[in-house]
Amino acid sequence: MIDTRIRITDIRKRYPKAYRESLCGLGFEIQTGEKFGILGPNGAGKTTLISILCGILQPSSGGVQYLDRGVPVQFREIRKELGFVPQDYAYFEELTPVQNLEYFGALYNLNKKEIRKNTEYLLEVLNLSNVARKPVHTFSGGMKRRVNLAIGIIHQPTILFLDEPTVGIDVQSKLAIIRFLNELNTSGTTIIYTSHHLSEAEQFCDRIVLVDQGKKIAMGPTKALLQQHKLKDLQDLFIQFTGEGYRD
Amino acid sequence: MFKFWIAFKKEINILLNDRVGLALMFIMPLLLVVLITIIQDSSFKMVNEHKVSILVVNQDEGKQGGQLISKMEDTGFFKLEQLKDVSPESLKKELLKRKRTVALLIPNTFTDELTQKANALSQSMVQELGMGEDSTEQLLPQISALDFYYDPVLPEAYTRSVGNMIYSLLATVESELMIDQVYVQMGMAESSSNLKEQMFEQRLELNSQPITRNKALNPNPTQHNVPAWTIFAMFFMVNSLGNSIIKERTNGSFIRLKTMPTSFFLVLSTKILVYLLAAMLQVVIVFSIGVFVFPYLDLPQLVLPTDWFAFFLVVFFTGLAAVSYALMIGTTAKTQEQANGFGAVSIVILAAIGGIWVPTFMMPEYLQILSNVSPLRWCLEGFYVLFLRGCDWAELQNVLVYLTVFIGICFFVSYWKLRMQKII
Repeated sequence: MIDTRIRITDIRKRYPKAYRESLCGLGFEIQTGEKFGILGPNGAGKTTLISILCGILQPSSGGVQYLDRGVPVQFREIRKELGFVPQDYAYFEELTPVQNLEYFGALYNLNKKEIRKNTEYLLEVLNLSNVARKPVHTFSGGMKRRVNLAIGIIHQPTILFLDEPTVGIDVQSKLAIIRFLNELNTSGTTIIYTSHHLSEAEQFCDRIVLVDQGKKIAMGPTKALLQQHKLKDLQDLFIQFTGEGYRD
Repeated sequence: MFKFWIAFKKEINILLNDRVGLALMFIMPLLLVVLITIIQDSSFKMVNEHKVSILVVNQDEGKQGGQLISKMEDTGFFKLEQLKDVSPESLKKELLKRKRTVALLIPNTFTDELTQKANALSQSMVQELGMGEDSTEQLLPQISALDFYYDPVLPEAYTRSVGNMIYSLLATVESELMIDQVYVQMGMAESSSNLKEQMFEQRLELNSQPITRNKALNPNPTQHNVPAWTIFAMFFMVNSLGNSIIKERTNGSFIRLKTMPTSFFLVLSTKILVYLLAAMLQVVIVFSIGVFVFPYLDLPQLVLPTDWFAFFLVVFFTGLAAVSYALMIGTTAKTQEQANGFGAVSIVILAAIGGIWVPTFMMPEYLQILSNVSPLRWCLEGFYVLFLRGCDWAELQNVLVYLTVFIGICFFVSYWKLRMQKII
């Protein structure tokens, strides 16, 4: 496994015909093995940032550097170590979980044996074994989220990006996913996670960055930030920095 | 190679799960081909093989009317039903009542007027030859026309060919009468029969030959419809493939791909390969129906070309043209509704101007020029070269060149759109 740190330097992003920048000179670092939360209101730039980190988008300026024990690594090298779980379901709902995992596992350059082994493990851990051969479109929301997650980690990534992984699912499924992510982190995976669910982020993340209108407005270990600002929970911190008005 | 195989398998699985799409791809063309061939074959037979049922009313008081009817029977082209003492209005009603499509009314002055004309002409001819007595020039009488009634729904070409046949028989009756009158004018009435026999027994023949290397091959509805509607069905995969691409784009799978150590071309190439194979399978199935099932439906059997390599090339290029067009629609359209709507309508239009329904030579000139932009026209042309013109490689080359250019343009547009969308 590669011991990786991510360095984000003065990233800016403006979409074509946008009236403002989505990211305005963001810069911070993510340590190996930590659970790092990117939080912010709607339109803050969280998904844009994650998309740039994963290589889906290119920044207008600034850069992202992946490091292995302090040595920069080319993105094409690190790509096989990255996992991405998008907010929207990104699988083939006509296919079964096994077929989806086989396909995406192959695209991650896994061989037949590795795909089979990882598929069996993930279906077991995520409680999808009973429905392994049923098409995904027949699943509940929670099950679909778990399939979406399984696809992102079929290749055992060392860095995992999750964009709102628990949105729209029940409490039980949410807890199960968080539990699983904690286990994944324990085995060494660095997790970068965005969410609107502040209580969940408070429980899950080691460090967070609070982003609003493309700018970093607070960053640090969750507990330290709360102590520093003498606030009870992350929601109070969030409201203090971003206000109570609507965000579109 | 493993990656390619898994990606290929995924496309097959998606296709197999789309039962409606599969039905459209394989059952629709079968139904189209069978139904339209049956419909066209019966009208083809009506024109070419069946006798023309014709109601005939002979009001003529002389023998020329009977001569005409006798000649009509001798051709073997007509199945005559003679009616007596029927007025024109009644004849029209009889026509509709008996479900006949054509009728002929010979007027009561037919023989008289024809004889007067023949007299006048023969007298004039004999005088000019200096063989007759001088007499006052006779004016040519006004000949009453024969009335030919037909059902207006009949194709114009059909009624014209029946009318022309009757007209040529009329000319024969008139010629014979002319010969008789000339000999009468010369005082040699009994000799006219010899001349008539010689003239009409040694007549010029027209040797009709379809141009093809395969002497057994004759154009018929099967030889046109099976390839034509198969091409139509192949291009209709624009719905299935176009939707597949848009679905992947919108469901995030394309986005995932960008985070993966895999080239997008792998995904695209497996998609193209699967749909190309599906298109070729369409050809195998529909053409097999034409060969093995059509005879049981009383339809002409499809005769396959003898040059299998040329056949494969035409099928391959047709399939690739269909797939590339579908790919272009799928990458260009923003939604499935756009792809379905534009894709389907564009195929119908391209099929119409391409000669799938009506051969291009029957279209107005400006449409014939426009038909050159339709890939379906060129695909059909390729099959015509195979099926009806004995596989002339010089002609086939033109077809393959056009299709190559078309395929290239579609792939280029698809590539450009994917670049613009930053998918590749």
